[in-house]
Amino acid sequence: METYVQLIVLGLLHGGIYALAAFGLSIVFGVSGVLNLAHGEFLMLGGMGVFALRSLLGGNPFVLALLVLPAAFVAGYVFELGLIRPIAARDERSRVASAVLVTLGAALFIEDATAFVLRLSGTDYDVSVPYTLPSLFVGDIVISYLRLLVLVLITLLTLALGYYLKVTYTGMALRATTQNRRGALLTGVDTGRLSSITFGIGAVLAAAAGAFEVVLASVDPSLGLPVTLKYLCIIVLGGLGSLMGALVGGAILGLTEQFVGFYSPAWGQTAAFFILVVVLLVRPRGLFGTY
Amino acid sequence: MRALALLVLLGVLALVPVSGVEWAGYLSRVLVLLFIYIVLAQSYDLVGGHMGYVNLGHVTFFGVGGYALGILWNAGVPFLGALALATASSVAFAGVISYPFFRLRGAYFSLATFGLVQLMQYSVLNFKELTQGSYGLKVPAGERLLPMYYLTLGLVVAVVWSSRAIARSRLGLAMRSIREDEEVAADFGVPVLRTKAIALMISASFPGLLGGLFTWYILYINPEMLFGIEIALTPVAMAMLGGSGVLAGPIIGAIILRVAEETLGTMLLYLHTAMYGLVILAVGLFMPGGVVRLGPVARWLERRSPLAGAR
Repeated sequence: METYVQLIVLGLLHGGIYALAAFGLSIVFGVSGVLNLAHGEFLMLGGMGVFALRSLLGGNPFVLALLVLPAAFVAGYVFELGLIRPIAARDERSRVASAVLVTLGAALFIEDATAFVLRLSGTDYDVSVPYTLPSLFVGDIVISYLRLLVLVLITLLTLALGYYLKVTYTGMALRATTQNRRGALLTGVDTGRLSSITFGIGAVLAAAAGAFEVVLASVDPSLGLPVTLKYLCIIVLGGLGSLMGALVGGAILGLTEQFVGFYSPAWGQTAAFFILVVVLLVRPRGLFGTY
Repeated sequence: MRALALLVLLGVLALVPVSGVEWAGYLSRVLVLLFIYIVLAQSYDLVGGHMGYVNLGHVTFFGVGGYALGILWNAGVPFLGALALATASSVAFAGVISYPFFRLRGAYFSLATFGLVQLMQYSVLNFKELTQGSYGLKVPAGERLLPMYYLTLGLVVAVVWSSRAIARSRLGLAMRSIREDEEVAADFGVPVLRTKAIALMISASFPGLLGGLFTWYILYINPEMLFGIEIALTPVAMAMLGGSGVLAGPIIGAIILRVAEETLGTMLLYLHTAMYGLVILAVGLFMPGGVVRLGPVARWLERRSPLAGAR
């Protein structure tokens, strides 16, 4: 019994972190129509940022993360302005091609440059921020407060995001543009600026996931592309542009990984991808997709 | 005249390994890698360029061929039989995945095929009895640079010739009509699903055979080598860089990226991957449609090259 509770908590925890970053990728794609292969680099940089600040200043990693997030927003905003805006106006086929080239190139650059900086500073390749809290005992069940804290933070972030998308002008414009770009343009949405903001939000979500990742596990420079791939799978699984889809997709992936991984460690990741293929067979547009 | 120029080029390439020049060995190795990438990029472009389905999982065909050869050959199947079976298994794999994956379109198709790369990597890691997992697979050793050079050169010729023939055939026309508008194509009686499956299987046959040869040449393979993310994206980047959907595009793209990587790797001690990334990025930013669609290059190709014929 306690094993299952542990597995569920772990699964939801990882799933929540996945969902956070995956949803960032999903809205970026929805608004700009660009497949951002460099999305995972923001996660990696977020984790690295928390690690760097912790090494320089010390202190609570979650407080330091609050300093990293605005920087992530600026980074995402500038990334869109410099690299995505020039290719966004091209026709669809050449936009897909250009986006693959530009974002793949950026991902390779960021990865190698980060590894280079790490080597210069003489740090280990694999960095983590050690941080522990006491555990909660409920009967036989032991749950670390750290995990619960992260779970609460993720939930709060998700609720805030859902509220933001539902109520604010930018949020509504964002959803409108995802649904119909031309329609949004006609009703006076500045889709260009919105695209920059969306990249900023996407980068913030990825960096937040990176901050959790560096505290709970570890982060290394070559993390970016593999996690991007994982997030792509989640949004295909859940359906594009849907917060619910990203949450459910992330939870499915996290829970499968934990449960299958518990019985047979090697198969955890594989099982998750098999689920993806099955979902595609049954429902090509994803669980919550509308197109 | 143009055919003559191509023949001379092929003749020169055929003489490289036996020329007796001091650096012939090094050059042959570099060229084998280039030929491998040309075959991958060109066969990718059959589906990615001519049919308009950006298949980010193209490298899985290469990996399936490579692993199939290693497993079968080690199990005692004669080499040529194993090679034929490796190619066949790659084509069969393409046939099987074509049904679920071609239900998706556009970016969704690209996302899912990209996921396939990771799925294959995990599967190979997990079926340890068959693939040795992360230890990697060894095959009987031997020095195979010279035969590999001519075989891959032959494959380059074969894949370019086949692409040209396909582009000019009824199948090629069906593929282009799917690229331009799938609904209209279906309304006009193009068997859309069948065409897509056949195109994918043809595009899988070359990397399947090549994967088998690669295992035979390189002697040791592991999941990261055959199902890695960077090797998955490189041929796609090459095709797009050169110009997707034009016969000469993938070849030009492969040459540019290989030369860039080779020179950066020897010139810079650090950060060559970063510079390589910047090259790819700059091409995406400043050359939409790839090198072959730049004004002067396009005009030059129109005039001279038999490769530009098939649009």
